[in-house]
Amino acid sequence: MSQHALSHLTLRNLHLAQGRRTVLEHLDGEFKPGAITALIGANGAGKSTLIQAIMGELRPISGTVSCTIASERRAWLPQQLALDLTFPMSVEELVMTGTWPSHGALKGYCAAHYRRGRDIMARLGISHLAHRPLGELSGGQRQRALIGRTLMQEAELLLLDEPFANVDSDTVDILIRILRQMADNGVTIIIVLHDMDHLRRLADEVLMLNGGHGRWVAPSALAHSQAPAQVVPFTLGGQHVGTA
Amino acid sequence: MLELLNAWFIAPFDYGFMRRAVVGGLALSLAAPPLGVFLVLRGMSLIGDAMAHAILPGVAIGFLLAGFSLPIMSIGGVMFGLLVALLAGAVSKMGGQREDAAMASFFIISLAAGVMLISLGGSSVDLTHVLFGSILAVNSTALVLIAGISTLIVVILAVVFRALVVECLDPLFLRGQSRRNGWVHSVFLGLLVLNLTAGFQTLGTLMAVGLMMLPATAARFWSKRLEGLIGIAVVLAMVASTGGLLLSFHLDIPSGPSIILLAGAGYFFSALFGRYHSLAAKLRRKTAPLSAEAST
Repeated sequence: MSQHALSHLTLRNLHLAQGRRTVLEHLDGEFKPGAITALIGANGAGKSTLIQAIMGELRPISGTVSCTIASERRAWLPQQLALDLTFPMSVEELVMTGTWPSHGALKGYCAAHYRRGRDIMARLGISHLAHRPLGELSGGQRQRALIGRTLMQEAELLLLDEPFANVDSDTVDILIRILRQMADNGVTIIIVLHDMDHLRRLADEVLMLNGGHGRWVAPSALAHSQAPAQVVPFTLGGQHVGTA
Repeated sequence: MLELLNAWFIAPFDYGFMRRAVVGGLALSLAAPPLGVFLVLRGMSLIGDAMAHAILPGVAIGFLLAGFSLPIMSIGGVMFGLLVALLAGAVSKMGGQREDAAMASFFIISLAAGVMLISLGGSSVDLTHVLFGSILAVNSTALVLIAGISTLIVVILAVVFRALVVECLDPLFLRGQSRRNGWVHSVFLGLLVLNLTAGFQTLGTLMAVGLMMLPATAARFWSKRLEGLIGIAVVLAMVASTGGLLLSFHLDIPSGPSIILLAGAGYFFSALFGRYHSLAAKLRRKTAPLSAEAST
């Protein structure tokens, strides 16, 4: 891991609002390349708002999001994806759309790109689904295909919103392994999580959003929590912050 | 028998206007259905309808200025259609209203304005021509225009194909890639307007959208692949436009509605007997053994 590397994504005194309602204030932070940061917090705490701001979809009221990663190397996997599942497209074709940053709308794919696509699908264990239409995939298979696209895209910043919801445990294992590999290759990963078990297995850093503020918490501080997964974000706000 | 075939399928093309109409129809059948397929896939099936109405005031102004001149009317139609598309986009951006709501408002205003303009300057016959088309009016200039526009559409579609696919599937991904990718949507709307203006001569402004949508919706019952959808839709459109013209010739009925009704018959047939999601497919599925289901 490249802990010494300069962070590609820095938040400074960030103030974010949806309409007139302030969602987050005085938010600072650095997301290090090679580190997986878990973003936790109750519903409405501002996780999606922060992701929008990082992706440049939402302009901050004040403060800055400075990101040195080109926009085409940022990948965002929203929770309820705007992905049309009736669209007549195969898994392989979806993975290949990840070549957009290098190929754009016009350039043709060559054999080497198809080979890379096939390697990626093999890593994700979806080779046998290459020609399956998207509409026939399970939640887990779809999530693997989408991660395949971000691998193809050679994303340097990856934001995931609850990628393990509606996903089978095999897929969770594979995705955790792949995400760790990506992080080891220097990708900055931010991931919204609700499940303590996933957090314990994956997170290097934790940014907890609560009551309009963000607090950086050591994952080890959370790991001992016995609180039920769904309640964790609520209870942690009061209990563990002082110790972290 | 041969004589009958000759009388039905060959003899009508002794007439120049029928030859021109069928070539125009085939050209449109190449360009319109792929656009329809993308409209259906984007869940924008009704936008085609809206745009068809939106070009009417432009066509009417062209008609008032220059009479039945296809180039002038087409230019008017394209300009007005693009104007409405831009306005609808702008209204939906500023007011938080969805684009289809803005579009619905604009297209009904456009329809009223177009009908009013034509009625002011012409007769009810002119109005019928513009709304429902007239194959008799397709002269050589019109044919060149239709063929030219169709060629342009097919070429541009081929160029922006991947962008369209990516945008249909996951607009967020495309937007994330670059802020400049908004052009894809605009180009698509532009192609739509172009196609509708090319189609209104044979089919009429109200019917032109039918050759775009019906083959596309019918193809959904036959294929699950994008290439398949487009191919089937094009073939359906070609059969419908040629068959419809022949019917209109022999039975002395208006060309636009007969082409569209034939395409409509194709749609109903597909809904009943198609390979996927049709009534027949549903019945088949009930009786299929487990092993057959696993292999699909």
